[in-house]
Amino acid sequence: MRDIAEAVLGLLPSAVTYGDVRVLHRTHELVLAEHDGPGDLAHEESTGLGLRVVVDGQWGFAATHRLDRAGLAEVVGRALAQARAVGAGPGIDMGEPVTTQTRWRSPMVVDPFTVPVSKKLDLLAAAVREAETAGPLVQKVEASMDFFRDDKVFANTEGALIEQTLTESGAGLVVFASDGNDIQRRSYPQAVPRTIRGQRGDFATAGYEHVESLGLVEEAARVGSEAVALLSAPPCPEETTTLIVSGSNMALLLHECAGHPMEADRALGSEVSLAGGTYASPERRGSFRYGSPIVNVFADATLPGALGSFGYDDEGVPAQRTELITDGVFVDYLSGRESAAALGQQSSGAARADGWQRLPLVRMTNLCLVPGDSSLAEMIAGTDRGVFVDMTKSVSIDDMRLNFRLGTEVGYEIRDGKLGRLLKNCTYTGVTPRFWADCDALGGQDEWQVHGIPSCNKGEPLQVAHIGHGTVPARFRNVRVGTK
Amino acid sequence: MTIDGEQVHAALGNFGSGARLEVSEEQVGLLRYARSRITAQHNENRLRVRVRLERDGKVAVGTLETLATDAVRAMAERLGEALWALPTRPVGARGGTAHPGPAVVPEVSEVTRKADAAERFAWFDTIRKGLGDDTGLGGSIRHEVVDRVVADDTGLFRHETLTKASLQAIADRDGRSASVKVLHRDAARIDVDGIAGRLLAELAPIPQRERFHGTCRVLLRPQATGTLLATYGYTTLGAAGFAQDRTAVAGRLGSPVASGLVSVKDDGTDPDGLPSGFDVEGSPRLSTPLITDGMLAGVVSNLEHAGVTGGVSTGHGVPFGWRFGADPSPSHLFMAAGAASEEELLAGVGNGLLVSRLDYLRVLHPKDTLVTGTTRDATYWVADGKIVAWHPPVRFTFRMDEALNAILAVGAERERGEQTFMESVTAPAVLVDAGPFSL
Repeated sequence: MRDIAEAVLGLLPSAVTYGDVRVLHRTHELVLAEHDGPGDLAHEESTGLGLRVVVDGQWGFAATHRLDRAGLAEVVGRALAQARAVGAGPGIDMGEPVTTQTRWRSPMVVDPFTVPVSKKLDLLAAAVREAETAGPLVQKVEASMDFFRDDKVFANTEGALIEQTLTESGAGLVVFASDGNDIQRRSYPQAVPRTIRGQRGDFATAGYEHVESLGLVEEAARVGSEAVALLSAPPCPEETTTLIVSGSNMALLLHECAGHPMEADRALGSEVSLAGGTYASPERRGSFRYGSPIVNVFADATLPGALGSFGYDDEGVPAQRTELITDGVFVDYLSGRESAAALGQQSSGAARADGWQRLPLVRMTNLCLVPGDSSLAEMIAGTDRGVFVDMTKSVSIDDMRLNFRLGTEVGYEIRDGKLGRLLKNCTYTGVTPRFWADCDALGGQDEWQVHGIPSCNKGEPLQVAHIGHGTVPARFRNVRVGTK
Repeated sequence: MTIDGEQVHAALGNFGSGARLEVSEEQVGLLRYARSRITAQHNENRLRVRVRLERDGKVAVGTLETLATDAVRAMAERLGEALWALPTRPVGARGGTAHPGPAVVPEVSEVTRKADAAERFAWFDTIRKGLGDDTGLGGSIRHEVVDRVVADDTGLFRHETLTKASLQAIADRDGRSASVKVLHRDAARIDVDGIAGRLLAELAPIPQRERFHGTCRVLLRPQATGTLLATYGYTTLGAAGFAQDRTAVAGRLGSPVASGLVSVKDDGTDPDGLPSGFDVEGSPRLSTPLITDGMLAGVVSNLEHAGVTGGVSTGHGVPFGWRFGADPSPSHLFMAAGAASEEELLAGVGNGLLVSRLDYLRVLHPKDTLVTGTTRDATYWVADGKIVAWHPPVRFTFRMDEALNAILAVGAERERGEQTFMESVTAPAVLVDAGPFSL
């Protein structure tokens, strides 16, 4: 792959003022077991390259699966033709050159691709069997594991040459229960807002040891029982009350309210066609109050084992930590080289591409909420009346990232400092800065956990990023909850 | 055809019994722009080979990006080992067969096939100049050609070439935005010259009003109706959910599920959508009535769930590992046009809201068809049948079945749209009575 990258750069003419190439081989394995079937297995292999060039101040990008000599020449020709077709541009400022030459490999204990399929199926089948013990109202159970490996080479005309290998592992379980009138679901250890097949659960940049650490079999019976119990639970009351969100639910809340809005390309208008804009405009940096003073958010691609961790991003910039919200005030962006230069700063190392055939975009890495000094138990004990919710079932937010509604899998009423009845179909709504201004308690360091989510969508053509969220439970006052 | 048929047959031979291949060669060109500047270009050439091996009721699936013999043999070996490890599935899981007739052959557009970066730039430049310097332009222009083959070891071999051109233009001025989305198999059928004028007309210099609170009649323009229809179809009109009592329409065949003005079909053969002849299982896409004059008339199926549709798949199987689930799902939805002109629809609103686009529509409770989403781009207030003011964007949380039951009038003009989970959706404007939508 290194030879291919160097060969491509060698084919670029002198008119190219900047060029970079990524050669990537991705392997993906999905193993899935079901309540009403024996399971499936899928294996994917994907190899190709993506080439970016700047000619006369305009970008060109071309990607191909053909890695022979003719294919390389052809992809260079297409990228050049594209850049030249649109006339001379204003120039592309990429900031400081990237010249790193290195190798990086993500840590793991057990290579998941060496674990026999039969062993994986046995674990999943056991989890399904445990979930089925919840009784005849269990309608559907799906347990799955996914493993990814990216071997990639990045090289650019500035002299960078970076070889990386990333291994990611994850697994999860979902149980649907039905009594003929209603359908409810519970997931473990992490929910996915859409109905998808596989690629659910919690993921890490790690090996098979992560899957074994999740306790799928041990938790399955509880998950199944809760799905069944939800069928007869009362719906969430419609009221304005105190809301406590679990760390799992916080992951998606933080993702939508703070993560996407603080992507620099969105702030610069580049994502308007699909995803929209953001309230976090450049002139608001350093002054816009996102939330209460206890709210601090950072992005960190160096967290060991977290799904959004890597050595270098897809522009060759080292993984790093960036403060985004400090004492409740929006202070900075996730950025890539071009967007950072447009904002007059250095890249935060967040340019990531979904495979060889896609352009790097500004993406979240591991977006994290700094823990506070409370705990879930203390928050509940300190609440006279409210609702505690867990696991995200659906997410919708407007194109400026302000008005949102989250649906959750499960809720509990809180009465006089104690958890009460189970509640179903709980949703809550808010407007980002108003909602976060009423955050009055955050769980402590011992409740801080990174959730690995392999399904963040952005861009056109659509790209799916693997990201992490370090979160704690949190309490919000004056929140509109209900079922609608 | 760019896919080598002999290579496909050779690959089938290497995979052995129970193999089905879906091979697609994709060429995609894209131009993106924001604030009237080009922000990205994309050009992709990709071969995708999906193989599904089924033996003794066991299924393993592989994806690779070559038909080279060595790679195919390596994948065959890997999948063979996987099948060995899987437990046996009970025989007889398949619910039906594919329709034996020929599949429709979509028209291939040479204009789309030949469109290049210069053509995309010319489109962009035409719209940008048409809007003028005081109006920003964002969006994208995309041309794609997909050559696809579905073949199996029983002799099935279907091939089609799908061309598609699409254009999204979002114009903004003074903090207000309007959008146009057009797509067609034939790039020559897209009226690029008319787009700037349409956008400028939308950006009318009328007052901004404060948010209305309460319920009112709502006029959904075709793109908004299309989003509603696609989400409803995906949520409720598949055979698996129907058979397993997971959807709002389960058990209601022949019963009213929408206003009598509503007729919906799924039809991969209708050129008013984006036709395609067959699904991933090689089953021809059948024209399938789903709602006729408000009554539930059918659902869409794949081979596994064809028992629900008379033992014959309607041609709506989805790829293994599809992000949106494993159940058969509508692919080419159409709502029948009505007779109302735009003026008549506006008159029917009286005092109410006009919605151009529904965005980020997400399902809260599938069986209740409860969804939440926001309006985006031109959202107007209508008074006495006239557009009189811009209205702030609105979040709606509503039941789709209630909205479909409350349709009072259907527009005469339809627009073609698409969703990430649906190849095309073609819909008219609809006037929805007060009730389902609360502001």
